[in-house]
Amino acid sequence: MGPAQIEAFAQLVVSAVLLGGIYALISLGLTLIFGILRVVNFAHGEFLMLGMYLAFWAFTLWGVDPYAALAAAIPLSFLLGLLTYGAVMRGVIRASHNVQIFTTVGLSIVLQNVALVAWSGDFRSVRPWHSAVVLRAGGTAFNLSQVVAFVIAVVLTVALFAFMRWTHTGRVMRATAQDRDAATLMGIDTDRVYRLTFAIGIAAVGAAGVLVAPLYPVYPTAGLQFVLVSYVVVVLGGLGDMVGALLGSLIVAAVEVVGSYFFGTAWKEVLYFLLFIAVLVFRPAGLFGQRGAETLGA
Amino acid sequence: MRHRVAVLALVAFVLAAGALAGGAAGQAPSGEYKIGVLEPLTGPLAFEGKRHLEGYEIMRDMINARGGVMGKRLVFAVGDATDPTQAASEANRLITREGVKIITGTFSSRLCGAASEAAARHGVIYWETSCVDPRFAQRGLRNVFRTEIDATGFGWYNVEFIAKHLAPRFNLRPNQLRIAFLSEDSSYGQGVTEAARKRATGEFGMQEVAAEYYNWQATNDFTPIIVRLKQLNPDVVHHIAYSTDAPLFWRQSREQAFLFKALVHAGATGYGSPEFGKALGADGNGPFALLEPGPGFRLEALKPEGQRLEREFRDAVQKRTGSYPLGGHQLAAGGLWLLKVVLDEARTDDLEKFRAVVAKLDLPVGSLLNGWGAKFADNGQNSNERVQHYMLQWQNGQLVTVWPEEFSTIRARWIPLGPWDQRK
Repeated sequence: MGPAQIEAFAQLVVSAVLLGGIYALISLGLTLIFGILRVVNFAHGEFLMLGMYLAFWAFTLWGVDPYAALAAAIPLSFLLGLLTYGAVMRGVIRASHNVQIFTTVGLSIVLQNVALVAWSGDFRSVRPWHSAVVLRAGGTAFNLSQVVAFVIAVVLTVALFAFMRWTHTGRVMRATAQDRDAATLMGIDTDRVYRLTFAIGIAAVGAAGVLVAPLYPVYPTAGLQFVLVSYVVVVLGGLGDMVGALLGSLIVAAVEVVGSYFFGTAWKEVLYFLLFIAVLVFRPAGLFGQRGAETLGA
Repeated sequence: MRHRVAVLALVAFVLAAGALAGGAAGQAPSGEYKIGVLEPLTGPLAFEGKRHLEGYEIMRDMINARGGVMGKRLVFAVGDATDPTQAASEANRLITREGVKIITGTFSSRLCGAASEAAARHGVIYWETSCVDPRFAQRGLRNVFRTEIDATGFGWYNVEFIAKHLAPRFNLRPNQLRIAFLSEDSSYGQGVTEAARKRATGEFGMQEVAAEYYNWQATNDFTPIIVRLKQLNPDVVHHIAYSTDAPLFWRQSREQAFLFKALVHAGATGYGSPEFGKALGADGNGPFALLEPGPGFRLEALKPEGQRLEREFRDAVQKRTGSYPLGGHQLAAGGLWLLKVVLDEARTDDLEKFRAVVAKLDLPVGSLLNGWGAKFADNGQNSNERVQHYMLQWQNGQLVTVWPEEFSTIRARWIPLGPWDQRK
């Protein structure tokens, strides 16, 4: 291996880690909702898109840096999650998976088209100073906004993991995920748990939207660009497993980066969807999930 | 001889129509003539579809101010074609419910095939002004016509520019050029890229170092491709991109200090979209995009009637949008004007009579909007040579016309591209 190859390999590693950070950021909310509510939220990408628009308008109208906008984005997304749960999800939470899928797909299309009507189909860009800053180390180069997104993804993962593991509310949420009926008999207000979980999940993806806005164009269907890969990450990491989502994101990103480099970009999706299918067939609880977790609450 | 007389008569008619266009408004139209306009107005292509529709509307108003078509006021029945399935069902709706005999549209190469098949089943004229899928006019359908060149024409022009304009300025012969092809994987991207590859290697002997396709909606990181391309050291990157992938590739190429001598694109998306400039500002200096003419276009190079039409259209777009006409505006409007020319001559939307008039059209370059001319083949395709295209370059946040030089007042810069921080 010559110096040029070593440099190329180092760059691929850095790119995979940073891309994995972005995927983790987007997947955390999805895995939380999936794990506790057992609902596949097909509108997840659209909540990401709304977060991106929030960053865009805050930056364009008032010059607010996306990192500052994060302080407003998290509570606003949380509120939006509460409202969406009350208006839409609550009615289908005990319905069949088919009904839930149709509902969230419908919600996704509604949100896309609301954005289209409200803000047009234009591709918008957020260009804070840090989006153009390139850091160089050991022959590798990376974007500052991407590094920040990665760091926040790790912090958010650890925070959500700790919340779920060591707080009373977290324990209540996990208990509800394991057995909704038993939890109800134990006096847990499962409706409140679902509402809270959904709102936290939407707050997480809203924050993700703000953080990726400096890196990718903002437009009504921007969420579609990431949401498919998020489903792969969630299945790979194990349903509802925060650390699993982070590790799953890194694996998907590594497969994508290495696959693109060696076999061409057309192959990257083939490779990570093969991995997706293999996990579903041989280890349905995910690579890092607890065995049998996939059937909990089903 | 008879044929020649007919052609002369037609040319005289078009010139007369042009003269009318430049002079006082025509007779007030009586009654209405409705055509179907099919565009993606929702979904991922809505941005371009709406701009295309805007171009149609501006030209419709210009046409109506000149007496409409066939003496009637031109009106639209608009359909939303988000995807190929909806394009076909909306085409059916326009035909069966709205009763249109002509449909025009459809912006995207993803949509025009399905929509025109639906029109063919009803024997309705399908007048395409934008999609560039080469297969569109190769299906033996008698009802399809396309005013824009197809993707193979885009590839043809791109290689013409690279071989005859860029190579001499790099002090290289075309067969010394190392060229990398990168493209999104729709029929549009593949059509342009494959045509360019064929001509670059077959006719000019260029050295192809890579040919890579990707799904633009699933590509969130170009670094692996860039790392590989850096090792292959191309002189020219021929990149056909949509709107999100062009700024991402360019930004990440800058991050990776990937140095190539030029990047060439074709079409109104990607590097040809104004969003590229908004996303990158002066950091986006340098790439070329084959398009309709932009700022720097020399009006004097057109025929007098082409000049009048072009000037008036620019003013109308400026008045409505506050900007210079964009590619979507120009394609739609240029195509709609040509439809008016044909309808006014045919005086009917009967398919066979309409076809006969289209077949006789023989307008030299510079006669129409965008400096276009017209000469249709039997399959309904306007010819590459008559649909004059232009190379535009991003210069300080603006796309300006730089080639062919006889049509432009501004010259191409940064040939070859220097280091990334020295392109100001």
